[in-house]
Amino acid sequence: MTEQTVETGAKKKPAMLQHEIEAKRLGLYMSLPAQLLLAFIVAFPFLMQVYISLTWWGPLDGTLWTLAYESMNWFGQYGEIFQDGRFWGSIGRTFAILGIAVPIEFLLGLGLAMLFVQKFPGRPIFYSIMLTPMMIVPAVTGLMFFLLFQGTGPINDMLGLPQNYSWLQDINRSMITIIIADVWQWTPLMFLILLAGILGVPEDQLRMASILGAGKWTSFVRIVLPKMKTVMIIALVIRVVESFKIFDTVYIMTRGGPGVATETISLYIYKMTFADLEWSYVAAMGLFILVALSLLAVLGMWQMSAAQKRQKAMMSAES
Amino acid sequence: MATIELKSLTKQFGQLLAVNSLDLLIPDRKFVALLGPSGCGKTTTMNMIAGIESASDGEILFDGNNVRTLPARQRGVGFVFQNYAIFTHMTVYENLAFGLRSRGMKGPEIEKKVTDMAELMRLTDRLHWPSARLSVNEMQKVAIGRSAVTEPAIFLLDEPLSNLDAAFRAFMRTELKHLQHQFQQTMVYVTHDQIEAMSLADMIAVMNLGVLQQYGTPIEVYNRPNNTFVANFMGSPSMNLLDATIGGGDGSTRIEFPGGGQFEVNDEDLLRRCKSATTGAIKFGARPEDIALEPSGHTGDGVKAKVNFVEPIGPRTIVHLAVGEEIIKVVVPKGSGFELGSDVKAVFPKGKCHIFDAETGNAIGLE
Repeated sequence: MTEQTVETGAKKKPAMLQHEIEAKRLGLYMSLPAQLLLAFIVAFPFLMQVYISLTWWGPLDGTLWTLAYESMNWFGQYGEIFQDGRFWGSIGRTFAILGIAVPIEFLLGLGLAMLFVQKFPGRPIFYSIMLTPMMIVPAVTGLMFFLLFQGTGPINDMLGLPQNYSWLQDINRSMITIIIADVWQWTPLMFLILLAGILGVPEDQLRMASILGAGKWTSFVRIVLPKMKTVMIIALVIRVVESFKIFDTVYIMTRGGPGVATETISLYIYKMTFADLEWSYVAAMGLFILVALSLLAVLGMWQMSAAQKRQKAMMSAES
Repeated sequence: MATIELKSLTKQFGQLLAVNSLDLLIPDRKFVALLGPSGCGKTTTMNMIAGIESASDGEILFDGNNVRTLPARQRGVGFVFQNYAIFTHMTVYENLAFGLRSRGMKGPEIEKKVTDMAELMRLTDRLHWPSARLSVNEMQKVAIGRSAVTEPAIFLLDEPLSNLDAAFRAFMRTELKHLQHQFQQTMVYVTHDQIEAMSLADMIAVMNLGVLQQYGTPIEVYNRPNNTFVANFMGSPSMNLLDATIGGGDGSTRIEFPGGGQFEVNDEDLLRRCKSATTGAIKFGARPEDIALEPSGHTGDGVKAKVNFVEPIGPRTIVHLAVGEEIIKVVVPKGSGFELGSDVKAVFPKGKCHIFDAETGNAIGLE
């Protein structure tokens, strides 16, 4: 026991010098306004959410939020979540959409990026056209696809399908329309990020690879892809996070319907907030998702740093 | 085993003629330096030999086979880039194994070759390091080893030493020569450093503005420059090139400098060259280290001059002389004690003087 304390004591940093303390204090003063602002816009709402989620408080009670403790419920709302089939259903659908749409967007984006690295006639024009969908307001995209997928709309017309062949009102096909709209809108973003990644691969190394006998495919797999790893991770993370929050297109196209066939988690929360007025339950759900996703993120980062540690250990073993 | 032959090789970038109808025969197992200032087309030539730049016109023959249309990966040459182009996302081992793997070699064989090469390049203790963490000197060794391990018959090096620190550069220079003897390769070496070219190469090809100026052994290129460009480019400090006219009559030949200086030519070689001149206006050239400085009373072929400036550079001293309106640089041993402003005589060496056509810059009467 005593030995342990001695050991940890020895590892302690040496005492800070006077000027170091002053420098630290100055930093604190300088960042104080920003910290206060952050406390106001992040910390306060968060704490309030935690507080509300532990109660039954809702708009119909007629009590002030400060008095919400009168209907204290502790972790009752959280228990509810585990039995809420509609919640888990909407989580499942959200993951289904991002699980299908994001890989498609990624592969399409990568393919297009590979294509646009080469020079071909009309490239600048195609380039601008390619990027347009990304700049359209998601609600407008929703409206566009809502119109396209009408029974009497152009898609059925072009595919030669009967007018009563419905997309948006069909339990299975409605999901497909949502995914198509998402792919259409967000492939350009993937394309843009991945193109930047490909252009960042040093020309010399590709030349060297070809001198060393590598064909196009080998160069792609062994030079381009590994060099783009970081960019690809960034692109995927951005799209996964974004599509987890998918709302506008779904709301315009199907309102989560038919039934709950396209109800995503954001849509479910929206309905619970504004239709069912279950505010404390919504607060609990929000927190639950936040904690769950944070755990996933921590797990991912932990794994990455473990890989780095392994590499460092290898280096020190050799030198 | 490979002879490289370039036949009227041409590369055009838009309006710019980077390489202009280059003919060059690089014999098997020789070390040839492509030497010239920046933008002379030496790197472009090298890239065309490697196949990473397509030729606009002409032929590239390896052992008599035209490889001009062959893609780089089928030419089987070794290449070292100026910035090494190390695959920074791989370990040293993977870098060294890359060429073997993409040529379809299998596990144990790769491992043996890579560890042998690592030993040769003294990289064994770095084999499993991420190559991005290596020092510049180590990257250089990886870059050479990575190509050498595939045992190419032709090895191309694009200014491989220019990023190294001075001590390692000197070491690498000898190392490269050793490697070439060991691997028995045909080596082509691009550099703008004439000392590097002189010390390493069996043959030097001097290029300027996309045109081959002279091709020969270092001694040939140094002693018998084809034109004023080569004369000026080889050697440091560079050759003195003075405006002059060939004068004389009544059996004697004189070289006269504008502004007064002149001397009578008694040197047989120079006399012969002067006689083959068709023009009176020439450039007279003599290397600073060949010119002798004598007291002004000395009798011999030389011109009277005044010491204008003295520049000590450690082991030697560069003395600047005013000859009429021209300045001549002369290298003398340190401590030779020539006072500023003193009168001296610059004596031009027998057999080591050059005359060039003042207009075209081409050497006159070169054998």
